[in-house]
Amino acid sequence: MKVGISSTGTSLESNVDMRFGRCPYFIIYDTESNDFEHIENQSRQAMGGAGIQAAQMIIDKKVGVVITGNVGPNAHRVLGSANIKIYSGITGTVKDAIEKLKKDEFKETAGPDVPSHFGTG
Amino acid sequence: MILSVASGKGGTGKTTVAVNLALSVGFCQFMDYDVEAPNAAFFLKPDIKHIQKVEMKHPYFLKEVCNACGKCAEFCNFNAVAVAGDEVIFFPELCHGCGGCLLVCPEGAVREKDVEIGKIKKGFSKPGINFYMGDLKPGYMRTISVQAALDKFIEKDILIIIDCPPGTSCPMVFSVKDSDYCILVTEPTPYGLNDLLISIEVLKDMGIPYGVIINRDGIGNDEVENYCRKNNIKILLKIPNDMEVAKYYSRGESMLDYDISWKGKFENILKEIKKDVRK
Amino acid sequence: MKQITIISGKGGTGKTTIASNFIKLARDHIAVDSDVDAANLHILLDPKIKETKDFIGGAVAEVSDECTNCGECENLCRFEAISNSSSDIKIDPIRCEGCGVCEYVCPVDAIKLESNNQGYYYTSESSFCTLVHAKLNPGAENSGLLVTRVRNVAEDIANNQNKKAIIIDGAPGIGCPVISSLNGVDYAMIVTEPTLSGIGDFIKVFEVTKFFNIKTFACVNKYDINLNNTEKIYDFCLKNDIELIGKIPYDDKVSICLSNRKFIIDEPSSEAGKEIKKIWEKVKEYLYPN
Repeated sequence: MKVGISSTGTSLESNVDMRFGRCPYFIIYDTESNDFEHIENQSRQAMGGAGIQAAQMIIDKKVGVVITGNVGPNAHRVLGSANIKIYSGITGTVKDAIEKLKKDEFKETAGPDVPSHFGTG
Repeated sequence: MILSVASGKGGTGKTTVAVNLALSVGFCQFMDYDVEAPNAAFFLKPDIKHIQKVEMKHPYFLKEVCNACGKCAEFCNFNAVAVAGDEVIFFPELCHGCGGCLLVCPEGAVREKDVEIGKIKKGFSKPGINFYMGDLKPGYMRTISVQAALDKFIEKDILIIIDCPPGTSCPMVFSVKDSDYCILVTEPTPYGLNDLLISIEVLKDMGIPYGVIINRDGIGNDEVENYCRKNNIKILLKIPNDMEVAKYYSRGESMLDYDISWKGKFENILKEIKKDVRK
Repeated sequence: MKQITIISGKGGTGKTTIASNFIKLARDHIAVDSDVDAANLHILLDPKIKETKDFIGGAVAEVSDECTNCGECENLCRFEAISNSSSDIKIDPIRCEGCGVCEYVCPVDAIKLESNNQGYYYTSESSFCTLVHAKLNPGAENSGLLVTRVRNVAEDIANNQNKKAIIIDGAPGIGCPVISSLNGVDYAMIVTEPTLSGIGDFIKVFEVTKFFNIKTFACVNKYDINLNNTEKIYDFCLKNDIELIGKIPYDDKVSICLSNRKFIIDEPSSEAGKEIKKIWEKVKEYLYPN
């Protein structure tokens, strides 16, 4: 299964970024092969709909689980429609987050964490 | 003649100048182009006779026809459409109404409907002012669309006074674009000077003649005045800082209500301007 | 990390004066000037620019010589940005929204969306904190997009340096730059004045913060120029669950201080300065909850 993590940097030592749509990078981690790649988050440059665009990218990457700080309602809706699991409110390094995910220590986020930005996020 | 009243910095007295000029001249068409914060009506107190909606088009998607191919989402430059699973998700607040999704849909699954983004209000103010204002609906980033709707009402062969939005970006440029002359209202502070310089750059680029009114003269320093003198920029008027004027303003009363001698001063400005107009 | 944006609806109510003084009083913070087409925060903060970046704005359509003047694009453009009055197609960059419909329909591929430099943004150091600010080219578009860029930089720095707060000086109005400056912030502080225009614009900009579900404070500047109107603002706040965080009296010293490039909070005899300090004490409780 592929995991998408919003990240402040390009390595597993980077921190989980609190912003989903506007994080600088996504780390895409494969839990079966333990391989990962980083993707520069182009959507952070968008004036509006960054979360929507980032979610669309995550879907296109066939990711099954998202780990991040905060998810707004728009991104939440798009990810939810594609049946992607969301774990939010996560801090610490990307590596720790993946370990915790593997040990099944996270609880799935039911709704958006941040109030509606009316789509400009 | 189209005469616009602008300023880089907000709150320097654009509306005060525009309104008092209109009241002094008596007969003109007044257009409030500050559609994000239209305030001239507080002073001109027009008898609003006609309200017209400004609308844009939003798409909607026919579920039974759509096969979630994703072409609409791919086309949309504003991220207003996403396709997830077998579903199209539309975010109306991001939509610019370009009609692109309708154009690219191979299945004919997109339809459109009208959505209100603001209003144009028309009325009459004493003594002989034809009043128009645009009013943008909060939450919609459609400033220019409402201004473009106002453009359609500009008459010919009459003095048009345009009250512009602050700043120097697109809404300001759109408001002054057809002007024969622009009055820049500023205040004698470092903020006022900084923003005056940017506004002058915009007007120079556009080839619009301009002059300066210094409002609240006496509050800060003389940097603005020195700059204008040095660069041969016409100072049309200085309005002294006066607590009484501020109190009249706060109640929606004009400078003419406070002191009728302002009428002559504003009429003189117009004479001064006519020497320099573009056409 | 908490973020607060200072806005007003109506211009000239004192946003930048209050923001500048807050920035001097705060700690562990980053400052942002999001009034990118008439930026003034740098005047008092007097920062040294450390890094300058090109701002490439949103795309607008450009037409090439291959155009056969068929008029298809003009028919479909919803923004009246394309005119065909003379012998060739002209695109008005002020009206063009960069949707790409003309590019899509052009049968000879004569139209392309192009992005150009529309200004610069800067990371600077002042004596109090890092300031991220920008200069939009005069008359340029995409001020909202530039605000997004500036805020991205500020958030990145705050994340990397573990800063506790970002203080954002907003733009007047309720349009693109204002909405971009409010996106995702924790608090909005509306600075208003007791004039009919001030109240009208206060209500409009509050509609926006309500829309975004942002906890909103109100501050009445020059409250004593019309006590009746100040009362009306109080009533409105009470009815709409807006926390009234302070009222600042009219004070000649504010402009004098500014003209001497001084902070009003450093002027011991200024009533306005004293009040701004009091307001900061309340804002501080929210920005630094622990």
